[in-house]
Amino acid sequence: VLKLLHTADWHLGRRFPTFPEEGQKKLSRARMDVVARILEVARRNAVHAILCAGDIFDEPNPQEDFWQGLVKILRNHSSTQAPLFLVPGNHDPLTSDSVWAPNHPFRAQLPGWVHVVDRDDFTYELSPSAVLYARPCRSKAGESDLAMALPARQPGDERLRIGCVHGNTFDIEGYQTNFPIARDAGVARGLDYLAIGDTHSFRDVTSNLPVPTVYPGAPEPATFDDNNAGHVAVVAMFRRGLRPRVDAERVAFWRWRDVRCRDMNDLRDLLSTADLDRCVLRLRFDMAVSLAENSAVGKILRDLRGTEAAHGRAGILVEDRSGLRLRAGTAADFSQNLPPVLKDTVDRLDLLIASAPLEAEKEKARRALSHLFEMLATREATGGGA
Amino acid sequence: MQLLRLQINNFAAIGQAEIEFGPGLNVLHGPNDLGKSTLAEAIRMALLLPHGSSHSQPYVAWSGGDPVVELTFASEPQQIWRVRKHFGKKGSSRLHFSKNGRDFEEAEQARGVDGKLREILRWGIPEPGGAGAAKGLPESFLATVLLSTQENVSGILDGTLQGDLAGSGKERIAAALQAIAQDPLFLELLRKTQEKRDAAYTEKGAPKTATGSPFREASDRVKEAREEKERWQQIVGDSEGTERRLRELTAGREPRQEKLAAAVAHHASLDLLARQTADRLLALDQVRTAENEVERIRRLISDVEAGNAKLAEMAVHSQNSDAAVESAKQHHAQALARLAQAQDAARVERADPAFHNTQLLLSKNEAGQALQKVEQNIHAILEAKKLAGDAAQKESEFRAEERSAADAAKTLAKAKAQEKEAGDQLVHCELLKKILDFQIAARQVKAAQDEVARRTQLETRLKAASREQDRLIAQRSAIIVPPDRSLNAMRRLAQDLGSARGALNVGFVATVVPQRSIEFTLRGDGGDITSFTTAQPRELAANASLELTIPGVVSVRVQGGSHEAQAEVAALESRWELEVEPHLKTAGVTSLEALDAKIEEARQLDASIKHQENEVRSLQQQISPLADAPQKLRSATEFADALEHTLGNVDFAALGAEVATLEPGPAAKLARNQQELSAQAQEARSKTTRADQDLAIGKERTRLLRASLDSANSSRDLALEPFPQGIDAALHAANAQRDTLRGQLDGITTTLASLEKQLAERSQQHETAQREAQREVGQAAATLDSAQKQRESAIARRALEEGGLKELTKQRDVADLGSAEDKLRRAKDQYERLPVPGRVVTEEEVKAAKSEVVRLQLEIDSLDKEIHRAQGALEQVGGAVARERLSEAEETLLQATRREQEIETDSEAWKLLLEQMKEADTAQASNLGLALGPAIADGFTKLTRERYQNVKLDAQLQTEGVVLAGAVRETSRLSLGTRDQLSTIFRLSLAEYLRVAVVLDDQLVQSDDARMQWFQNLLYEKAKLFQIIVLTCRPGDYLPSTSSIPANSPIHFDFKDHPVRAIDLGRALQRH
Repeated sequence: VLKLLHTADWHLGRRFPTFPEEGQKKLSRARMDVVARILEVARRNAVHAILCAGDIFDEPNPQEDFWQGLVKILRNHSSTQAPLFLVPGNHDPLTSDSVWAPNHPFRAQLPGWVHVVDRDDFTYELSPSAVLYARPCRSKAGESDLAMALPARQPGDERLRIGCVHGNTFDIEGYQTNFPIARDAGVARGLDYLAIGDTHSFRDVTSNLPVPTVYPGAPEPATFDDNNAGHVAVVAMFRRGLRPRVDAERVAFWRWRDVRCRDMNDLRDLLSTADLDRCVLRLRFDMAVSLAENSAVGKILRDLRGTEAAHGRAGILVEDRSGLRLRAGTAADFSQNLPPVLKDTVDRLDLLIASAPLEAEKEKARRALSHLFEMLATREATGGGA
Repeated sequence: MQLLRLQINNFAAIGQAEIEFGPGLNVLHGPNDLGKSTLAEAIRMALLLPHGSSHSQPYVAWSGGDPVVELTFASEPQQIWRVRKHFGKKGSSRLHFSKNGRDFEEAEQARGVDGKLREILRWGIPEPGGAGAAKGLPESFLATVLLSTQENVSGILDGTLQGDLAGSGKERIAAALQAIAQDPLFLELLRKTQEKRDAAYTEKGAPKTATGSPFREASDRVKEAREEKERWQQIVGDSEGTERRLRELTAGREPRQEKLAAAVAHHASLDLLARQTADRLLALDQVRTAENEVERIRRLISDVEAGNAKLAEMAVHSQNSDAAVESAKQHHAQALARLAQAQDAARVERADPAFHNTQLLLSKNEAGQALQKVEQNIHAILEAKKLAGDAAQKESEFRAEERSAADAAKTLAKAKAQEKEAGDQLVHCELLKKILDFQIAARQVKAAQDEVARRTQLETRLKAASREQDRLIAQRSAIIVPPDRSLNAMRRLAQDLGSARGALNVGFVATVVPQRSIEFTLRGDGGDITSFTTAQPRELAANASLELTIPGVVSVRVQGGSHEAQAEVAALESRWELEVEPHLKTAGVTSLEALDAKIEEARQLDASIKHQENEVRSLQQQISPLADAPQKLRSATEFADALEHTLGNVDFAALGAEVATLEPGPAAKLARNQQELSAQAQEARSKTTRADQDLAIGKERTRLLRASLDSANSSRDLALEPFPQGIDAALHAANAQRDTLRGQLDGITTTLASLEKQLAERSQQHETAQREAQREVGQAAATLDSAQKQRESAIARRALEEGGLKELTKQRDVADLGSAEDKLRRAKDQYERLPVPGRVVTEEEVKAAKSEVVRLQLEIDSLDKEIHRAQGALEQVGGAVARERLSEAEETLLQATRREQEIETDSEAWKLLLEQMKEADTAQASNLGLALGPAIADGFTKLTRERYQNVKLDAQLQTEGVVLAGAVRETSRLSLGTRDQLSTIFRLSLAEYLRVAVVLDDQLVQSDDARMQWFQNLLYEKAKLFQIIVLTCRPGDYLPSTSSIPANSPIHFDFKDHPVRAIDLGRALQRH
């Protein structure tokens, strides 16, 4: 049995500008950390080769930290390691000034068991009875089908033939330039397994064909839309003609959760979610709350988010409070012992909420009321007394 | 507000007074009627009354002269005002301002003084002359409270802010009370809210946009995100443009490809039909040829068989003829015998003439037979000649066909040569097009190189210009000169100074006449010091100044000019030092001329910097469009290299030169050439095909004609075999022989006729007998002759038939009917197998179809080149990666925008909260009674030892009453002393809140000792916070100790342990 570990779309160096700064760091670091886990899965499964089907880096010229980081991880896993094949993808195409260029220091520092697919006729004999064909992307966009460009099986060739390219199998209008791959390319080129990369979800796109054409997906999800991401494919190839077995193995650290709270219970339930600290949580609201509840929401969000002094309960939190509305008539939430001037202030804001012609004005008044409530609550909580 | 100094002249009973106030409690004491209340009035008038008001009339000095009051006061620290009013119709007002109390400058004068004062005081008094302004001394609640006279207690307790003509008094009180009367919780929240608001907004309420402000931070993020989004939008736009172009090209190629396929199919079908037609024609020709051959052979066989049958029949006929001849001969012999008998009988009668006649007849017979043979011979000769003619005709046809085939071969060779030539020219043309493309690419490379070089040159110039600009700016920044316009003022000052100094330069001579020998030093006009020791008179001359010093005794300084002139010089020199010297020093020059030069230098530098800025901007504008020049160069070079690689090792120079000679334009010319050459090549190919077909047909015809010729030759040779001497000679001989024989026959016939005539003449007698015999002989002879003729004819026919048959047999023997039939069958089979064309196709149709194919192929080739270029361009764009980035950038922008809106709403909410808190606070504080009441009540309660629990003030500070045993009692029901005390507490409380001086004129005179003591303590305490001026005739009620004032103390005496100043009015003012 020939065993392979098939992965792709590491996107080392990817930025996450929509996240808070700390979250950006965590997500960026996770992309590097997962590489070690992938190598560990490879070692545990005693695979004969590791195929990385493109987009190893998020761009052709990543910052030095990223390629140095990768070199360091690879060098730390040099013992008893199967050959690793790195295929340039459309995010990190092979160009003369890319990280894949022969004169780039990255290449010089790679251990000997790491092979960069830097030729169009790349061929590697994994064993006398198995051969790997691969072809790199040379630009960020292209019309050519790299899988169909792999050599066809010659008569009398009985070896297991594995292809590895980057591109997509979706024939979507307007996306033909993203290195399209024909779904029957594996069959057409006489391959036994076609390892591809591009989309971030694990998927066997040819389950009804004898030759598996598999997206392993990104080992760490990168967006909330990356469903079924976070895996590598472990492939067992038995003999020619018998469909290889492909298993997804999870390697991701982060789980991405998109949560919409419709009442306070939803929000409170969230706190009891297991492994919350390993969640990238996007929290949206569709609820109206009283001032007191609004204050409680703020407190829960602080708990989830963390402060400078304490870690948040959620690994990474993205908040969208646009759907969180203050209920009308919330002025009753204030203490009756307020000084007259503050009572007057509350009454004035309450009147504005009731009488302002524009919703924006009402919202401003509600927010002002909330600020006042929050100040009083904080003062009370810190022992100031109202 | 604090009063500092009061000077009075000619004010009612006071001739002159000068008082310096202390900061705390000022006790101005003096006996009754000294003028204390007049002083208080003087203060009120200085602050409030316009100098021309008739209200000042009562204060005209008793001794005459207009009253003059000068009051100095501080409205704030370092805000010191000095108001001087000369009351009366010809009076005046002047207001001066100073920060240090020494150096004053005029701030206002005349009518402007009172307006300014009221603005400073904010006591609720409108500007003078305004609508509703009252005549006389203006009044307001605060003016009453702070400066009221001793009899105006009711004015205080009954007064209200309601009556003020201007709102400034109430505003001032409200602001003061607001600051001190707020709830601590409210204050804390207000402070926090204010901080939040101030973090986002300026004092005027505009959003802060400086670095570090939340708005700036958010808008920076939005701007950054928007720029990032726009950048990716641009890239995606380019990318999609390229992709669209490629899609359009690919889409455009498909219909053309379909058209081409259709055209190729159409051409192929036409070509096939044409070939089918040609093939069937050829096959049909072959069938016909084979049919002819078979028919010929069959005819031969049939002819031979018929010939043999005819010959056999002729043999029978010959035998019959022979028998007939024999029978006829017998009959003839018998008849002859009978005739002979008759003739013998006649001969006997006429000699033997019958002998000659018989011989002649025999001769005639023989000659006739010989003639018949000769004619048969001639017939055979003519037949042979005909066969020879046929053979010659066949050979002629063969030769003609052979020539035709040769011509077709030549045509084919020529067409092939033309086709090859056209093909070669097409290849050459294609090469030239590539060369042209390469030249264009090379020109683009050159242009791109030029652009890069220009950019480099411009950047170098830009750097140099920037360096020069920096240098100039550094040079300019080192020069600090005043504005150009100030130089004129300096020049005027220098001129004034020169003129003023000139006024000092009067020139004088001093004569020193020592009484004894004495040492003295002299210095004239500030020159060198000269020492003398002499007893002689000495004359000293100087222009402006002279200094004479007798050491240890005296120094005499003599200066020219009047005192005013000297003062003017000193003032101008002082101005020079203040206004000019600093500029000279800063500029590092010593004279105005040098400063002027410096300013000029600075102006020139400014101009140079401006020029340099324009230069830099111009260079940047020039560089901007060249930003992508390296990219263009790289693309152009790669494209040119790719073309060069495609061209391989060709002679670029020669081909380039050839391209250059193409007129009118290489591209158009090449396209036209290519089109023409394609048409030529197509035509040549058509010709070749046609010639090829012609040649094949010609060869086949030649081969068939050859066979026919061979057959004809064979027949001819067989026919000529019997005539070795030649056919013409044989014919000639035969004709001669026939002519001879015909001559002989004619002679014999003539002889016979003559003989017969003779016989007739001589044998008339025997004619009857003989006639019968003759008739019989004749009949027999005729029969014999007929039989013989028939036999001869049969023999001749048989011979002829035999000859023909022999020839036919020969021909039949050489002919192979089976082979011919086989060939015919094959030809027919082949013909049958050939498909029947659907329709007849003309050559023009095929040609037109071929041209369409070529045209479409050219179009597709051109399109393929475009597609290839677009594919190359596609590799340079962002593709899906750019779309992903754009999507991220849009998300980032959305978040940043949302964040910005969130910050804006949040900040607006803080701002709104602050506004509402302040409004609430103001609303609360505007009820001044509530704010001020507790402080007054507190003092009053303590004073009355809690007899009264509270003092009720309304919102406008009108005293509603005091609370006694839970009930509110009107103040009018209080005793005069208590009302006085209450009003004093009221005044002190308000003055404290406002931090202003308060004047108490003979207050508390009806207070008992205990309350007086209580007040004294209160005044000492409050005097630490604000200024209190007490005018009293009982200093003991206010001063800590009157005995501690030394007898020889100055007018003002400050106590050490208390903030109290005692002012002895008895000495401070002089009455008339």
